[in-house]
Amino acid sequence: MIQFFDPRQSGNPHQLLDVEKDYGTPPTCAEDAASTSLVSLTIDGQPVMVPAGTSIMRAAAALDINIPKLCATDSLQAFGSCRICLVEIEGRKGFPASCTALAEEGLVVRTQTEKVARLRRNVMELTISDHPLDCLTCPANGDCELQNAAGEVGLRDVRYGFDGENHLNAKKDCSHAYFTFDPGRCIVCSRCVRACAEVQGTYALTIDGRGFDSRVAAGQDEDFMDSECVACGACVQACPTATLMENSVIDLGLPEHSVLTTCAYCGVGCAFKAELKGDRIVRMVPFKGGQANRGHSCVKGRFAFGYTTHRDRVIRPMIRDTIDEPWRQVSWDEAVSFAASRIRAIQQQYGRESVGGITSSRCTNEETYLVQKLVRAAFGNNNVDTCARVCHSPTGYGLKTTLGESAGTQTFDSVEKADVIMVIGANPTDAHPVFASRLKRRLTQGASLIVADPRRIDLVNSPHVSSDYHLNLLPGTNVALINALSHVIVTEGLEAKEFIASRCEQEAFEHWRSFISKEHNSPDIMAPVTGISAEKIRDAARLFAQAKNGAIYYGLGVTEHSQGSSMVMGIANLAMLTGNIGREGVGVNPLRGQNNVQGSCDMGSFPHELPGYRHVSDESVRGLFEQAWGVKIDHEPGMRIPNMFDAAITGSFKGLYCQGEDIAQSDPNTHHVEEALRSLECLIVQDIFLNETAKYAHVFLPGASFLEKDGTFTNAERRISPVRKIMPPLSGKADWEGTMALSNALGYAMDYSHPAEIMDEIAELTPTFSGVSYQLLQETGSLQWPCNEASPHGTPIMHVDEFVRGKGFFAITEYVATDEKVNKKYPLLLTTGRILSQYNAGTQTRRTENISWHAEDVLEIHPFDAEERGVKDGDRVQVSSRAGATVLRADITDRVQAGVIYTTFHHPETGVNVITTENSDWATNCPEYKVTAVQVSKVTGVSDWQSKRELFSEQQIAFMGTADS
Amino acid sequence: MSSTELEHLIKMINQIADNIAIGESDDVATAKLADHLKRFWARSMKEQIFNYANSDGEKLQPVAKKALTLLQSE
Ligand code: SF4
Ligand code: SF4
Ligand code: SF4
Ligand code: FES
Repeated sequence: MIQFFDPRQSGNPHQLLDVEKDYGTPPTCAEDAASTSLVSLTIDGQPVMVPAGTSIMRAAAALDINIPKLCATDSLQAFGSCRICLVEIEGRKGFPASCTALAEEGLVVRTQTEKVARLRRNVMELTISDHPLDCLTCPANGDCELQNAAGEVGLRDVRYGFDGENHLNAKKDCSHAYFTFDPGRCIVCSRCVRACAEVQGTYALTIDGRGFDSRVAAGQDEDFMDSECVACGACVQACPTATLMENSVIDLGLPEHSVLTTCAYCGVGCAFKAELKGDRIVRMVPFKGGQANRGHSCVKGRFAFGYTTHRDRVIRPMIRDTIDEPWRQVSWDEAVSFAASRIRAIQQQYGRESVGGITSSRCTNEETYLVQKLVRAAFGNNNVDTCARVCHSPTGYGLKTTLGESAGTQTFDSVEKADVIMVIGANPTDAHPVFASRLKRRLTQGASLIVADPRRIDLVNSPHVSSDYHLNLLPGTNVALINALSHVIVTEGLEAKEFIASRCEQEAFEHWRSFISKEHNSPDIMAPVTGISAEKIRDAARLFAQAKNGAIYYGLGVTEHSQGSSMVMGIANLAMLTGNIGREGVGVNPLRGQNNVQGSCDMGSFPHELPGYRHVSDESVRGLFEQAWGVKIDHEPGMRIPNMFDAAITGSFKGLYCQGEDIAQSDPNTHHVEEALRSLECLIVQDIFLNETAKYAHVFLPGASFLEKDGTFTNAERRISPVRKIMPPLSGKADWEGTMALSNALGYAMDYSHPAEIMDEIAELTPTFSGVSYQLLQETGSLQWPCNEASPHGTPIMHVDEFVRGKGFFAITEYVATDEKVNKKYPLLLTTGRILSQYNAGTQTRRTENISWHAEDVLEIHPFDAEERGVKDGDRVQVSSRAGATVLRADITDRVQAGVIYTTFHHPETGVNVITTENSDWATNCPEYKVTAVQVSKVTGVSDWQSKRELFSEQQIAFMGTADS
Repeated sequence: MSSTELEHLIKMINQIADNIAIGESDDVATAKLADHLKRFWARSMKEQIFNYANSDGEKLQPVAKKALTLLQSE
């Protein structure tokens, strides 16, 4: 007998038997896998055993008996509306729909009888009589489930004719940038409606009307573009017909082959099937077998890949002597030897430590590894840093100090087991959309939500989801809040005593307990500081402490503060205090911004750490690398990015190699950064576009997009996922090849023929990666580090029996108010964030149709603050801080509280970082982006900086235009 | 020496002191601060702050001064 071991049995609900196959209905979701009982039944004479709760359709599919279906698909709960999946059950009357009828012990099911066949043909006939039969010219031709079903049921003619009332001429909705809605082809199966609700959690679609009149409607019967639709594409993927169809498929036709790869946008790291025609992408389809995304994606990963072939791509190396002269297009050889001779000359004159490098969180692990290797081995110093400096460096410091490892503790799947979820300083629906969908799904199942954020993010209140507590604290008071929460738990005796006693350092805990119990950490004292009532703090603390599984998710609203590291430690303290570490459903989860932030940190991109977070002063570790690399490695830490900038202005730092990061746009205090960049004698930029930083460069090395190279990315779950080459690099070299060329020109030999060899070197030198290889990744799809002898298939949940550092460490986190305070001159607090359709500096997304959702950065301001300044919605306003000023449009909204304003940072013209200051986290110098004291006033023109920038930018673009001559 | 660069270093060291010294005994705080500088500051940064501590040092918090003395004696 076939025992259909449904996923739950292996402990993983998502492990499908064959990920490419549609089983019609999802696996049963018994809360406790072990207690699910099995039932045996017979289908078409074949015996099968499945977990109770499995549909007959799914049980049959496991036997490869494929019952025709239209409204069912295994990413959605069964709905039972189309009735084409009817079957006969021995001894029972009627013909139940196999997608909704459950398997029961002893059933004898027949899926192909004459009666059933006749009924199915009738159903199909009715459906088809209102469907255009222009299959040969339909964009779904060859990929249409309606066609397939018609074939399966053997429909031969339609008795009703096509003259009656029908929907064939219903008007198309072409409003959407990426897909078309052609209601004339709709069979009203409601898969799209359910996908939007169940998979995405946006509830933008409904079935309007009844009976013959029923049809799919977006929003309040609007165009898709005007509705709440967030363009995730789940409905398009779920639609069995051509009714909802990607525009790219309409334009290009169906793909002929596909390659599995990983999204290069955010830290969720969704797996995709890139569906291609030759080397041209027809569409990106989130991969059902993807362990981070489970078949879902957001608008960026699915649709926003057009930038990879945008005409702005720079694909030839360029050099110039000064930034006031035009670029010269040269060969790779000439470019790297020019760069190398300059770097060496600088080191001759100013010393070994006068140059450095910046690795990218957008590039692959292998590429990041090579850049830090180049700096340490070829430059001969530790002046290497990464863009993670400006986002998650406090996570590294804070989690390493308390738990022992600089990484999140869970999988994304883990959220499905969480009971109380605390989201702090993160906006998942915009920044980590696929995770947000999974989180929302858990909330609709009944989990509670606590949001700590100055602003009313979407999760606080959206269809079918709302937070139990929105702790809308004042920017800059995170630590005050987290201390108060812990204070309540300790003073009310709600802590997890056993967990603490067995898992944590006692002395440190006692020390911490006496600190946290002090009156000054109490909700009553902290209420006026945070702006949240003591009562609300107490209630939220109790809710979290008493949860069976409490999970904390946090983002840059935690790290980008003067006390970012303290807050990370405060979060770890709270998780340990409540025993919420080391199993599913709990944990401390940093939501990483960029696709490979985790990876770039892992790969030794910090000036004090070699790959695997090992300090450069550790002789034995250094010895290992020295032997493998054949060089001496400096035992002193190098400079961080802000120190490099300071030293550049002083005149002791002169050369920088910057791969895939736009520091001129994304680092704080633009004036300061620009001054530093202008002071450099050799700035080497490797990027796919002439970004803001490249405008100050002397050497431009053309970068490769994620479609043009092999490699791996590591997402926020520590999951290493393969990135696969789909087309040859436009410039002739992938980024790792560019770095190799530069290193060789510098006289330090690098000779890899494939990134797999780089990974082998990483595995050899890094204990947490020792089991990782391309071979194993090919077999498993992805791996969560640590992956080594102890856990050969990776580590989904960390700190299970003990902490990586042995015992958990409660760190003292005294609240110290930031220097950035409001005053008469600057009475408002500015905080920043991002939105769904754009990605960070916007370099990529601004070059796609995503621009239709966010053409400019706007300033959110509370009606009260706006009125006080005579500002009306849409007015141009100047925002000024002690660092600088910029002008943007006002959006009046009570999403922000009075006294706080908010904007995004996706457009260089806005230059929000002209305003942000050099204040930073005490432990890591992560900039305090989230708090800047500002004033807002109504203006007509643009700021001085903006007009200067425009001139400079135009000139630099002109310099590129003459590069050919 | 650029005043901005030094100003930043002074601000940094005092800020670290603020965050790790509170509630600790003088000795512990000094040791923690010295250790932090040893682990995270580049050679050139340490040199500059040493020079400043040895020549003027007025803007340094007491525990910062002590930590720098400790570090230099190692
Ligand atoms: S694209 Fe996503 S959000 Fe928009 S209607 Fe479809 S499922 Fe809903
Ligand atoms: S649009 Fe597609 S998925 Fe939605 S009801 Fe119509 S046929 Fe079904
Ligand atoms: S941007 Fe993030 S959530 Fe969206 S598809 Fe890519 S990895 Fe997934
Ligand atoms: S597939 Fe079962 S009723 Fe539609």
